[in-house]
Amino acid sequence: MDTEKILGLFREITSGVLIEIALVFAVATAIVLASQKVLPWFADHLHGKQRLFALAMIPTIRVIVFIIGFVWIVPLVIEPTMQNMVAILGAAGLAIGFALKDYVSSLIAGIVAVYELPYRPGDWIEVEGTYGEVKHIGMRAVEIVTPDDTVVFIPHLKLWSNLIHNANNGGPSLMCVVDFYLHPEHDAHRVKHLLEDVALTSPYVQLAKPIVVVAKEEPWGTHYRLKAYPIDPRQQFQFMTDLTARGKNCLRQLPVNFAQLSPEHVVQASPY
Amino acid sequence: MTKSNHWQLIPMEQFERPSAPASTVIQQTWSHLRKLLGADSDDDAVPDEQDFPSYSEFALEPAVAAVNAVFNEEDAPSVRFVISPPFSGCGAIMRKWAEQQGYTQLTPPSIEQLEQADTDPWWQQQQCDTWLLDEFSSFWLRTTAHMQFIRALLPRLLRGEIGCGVVVIDSWTYAFLQRAWPLSLPHCYCFAAASPELLRQSGIVASDKRLRKVTARARGNLGVALAHWAVEQNPERSLPRLPGEADDATAFILYSLLLHHGLRGEYLQQVLPMLAPAQLDVQLLRLQQNAVVELDDEKIWRVTVYAYIEVREFLAARGFWLDGF
Repeated sequence: MDTEKILGLFREITSGVLIEIALVFAVATAIVLASQKVLPWFADHLHGKQRLFALAMIPTIRVIVFIIGFVWIVPLVIEPTMQNMVAILGAAGLAIGFALKDYVSSLIAGIVAVYELPYRPGDWIEVEGTYGEVKHIGMRAVEIVTPDDTVVFIPHLKLWSNLIHNANNGGPSLMCVVDFYLHPEHDAHRVKHLLEDVALTSPYVQLAKPIVVVAKEEPWGTHYRLKAYPIDPRQQFQFMTDLTARGKNCLRQLPVNFAQLSPEHVVQASPY
Repeated sequence: MTKSNHWQLIPMEQFERPSAPASTVIQQTWSHLRKLLGADSDDDAVPDEQDFPSYSEFALEPAVAAVNAVFNEEDAPSVRFVISPPFSGCGAIMRKWAEQQGYTQLTPPSIEQLEQADTDPWWQQQQCDTWLLDEFSSFWLRTTAHMQFIRALLPRLLRGEIGCGVVVIDSWTYAFLQRAWPLSLPHCYCFAAASPELLRQSGIVASDKRLRKVTARARGNLGVALAHWAVEQNPERSLPRLPGEADDATAFILYSLLLHHGLRGEYLQQVLPMLAPAQLDVQLLRLQQNAVVELDDEKIWRVTVYAYIEVREFLAARGFWLDGF
């Protein structure tokens, strides 16, 4: 393909076209930036489903603006015939395949993420052992904040090959699990009912959701897992602290002895 | 019951909240949006609590007549429950009714009896066959020990082991019990939602449309409707608003106060042990400054009638478990 043929693919770029492209780019950027500023601020005034919906609008708006901008600008630059499009996209694909594979893969995964919703702003996700709240979904990466207030950037690329654990999956329900390790000599049913009441009397508990206690016998004693949902996923750590503190008090008053783990049993047993 | 008496005691499942006129819905949505956007001025958010007009007390006799029309003593079940939305005046009505019928008002169990979860010692000291338990929402706390007492008491009540009586339960407590003790309570009654006719019977003179707006805004609660009406009559006053700093702790406090029909400071601390005493004091004083809560003569903190609807909306927006009224 000689130079003339390549140039023939493109339209004549006049100053008017340049101004139009610049305007489209500026308006698109302004809309995206405004949505990234206004919607999180708006979401901070909301709770539960309404908050998550407002946050989920951010990446959706960005993709819509991106598509409209692309559809607007491309015909201004390229003569929109099938032959031209195939030639340009083929050349671009080749370049991307060699040089910018990971970057573009992340960009495409970012679009897929908006469509498939493996995570949305406000969700609590775990990727490769890092757990946190999704704060922002960018074009290339998702930004999460861990409980220790560390921001972690995870490329959307991980979506193709890694397991994404989503604790609340776009809803306000997030199950919390609190462990209690007790000496084997006790009345298990009494402990189970007591732990259910510990959750029921927690100010944080979401009363609309179930409360479950599961027990498992271990060589060193009995392992109880108290499962319940907080009213707001952001309260999960305060909720677990409240359950632990009040659960320990109530168990002491029952009275039940806590298990004394020998060093070889200190490592956590596999979850069930 | 005469034709002019608009009080009605109905089975709870028949309760219907009055629907708001379209103009009220639009007004409420606009107000909600303004609140979200922070456009509402904060100047009137700190009213002088002493300046609030006292809302008129309504006559109890017609309401008692409505109870008499439904509570037929001949085929009375062992226990009947009257569900009382806050400020609806059910407690006072039922006390008056019990007095007329010769029902004994039960004394609430002591803290020791509650913590032992043994209902026998409490019942033995009552010595009556027909009774009214009007403080069901306020004698216990949302703690594991007290929950066991409630779980021991409710089956005994339903089995008729402790005579024949009427239990008045706050609507918030009833909603919580539905979750804590998942057997539906039988023979539950409540007063029908306040209508424009009932407001007129209670002494308010205004057009039907205006009264419908008041009852819809008050969710059919007569006490709240009268309080809103009293505020509306004074153009210099407005309903109290939650402070801008209201957060999770504020929500927990307000929910606890509604659940227990008001609480003393030390009991509030017991049900919310995760709040430091100083934090609790700050929250309560801030809410008091905003006329959202008040401290009565018995040192019990309560949500004010003027702020009730605002508080309910605040808890609803945060996903709390609400009453059915």
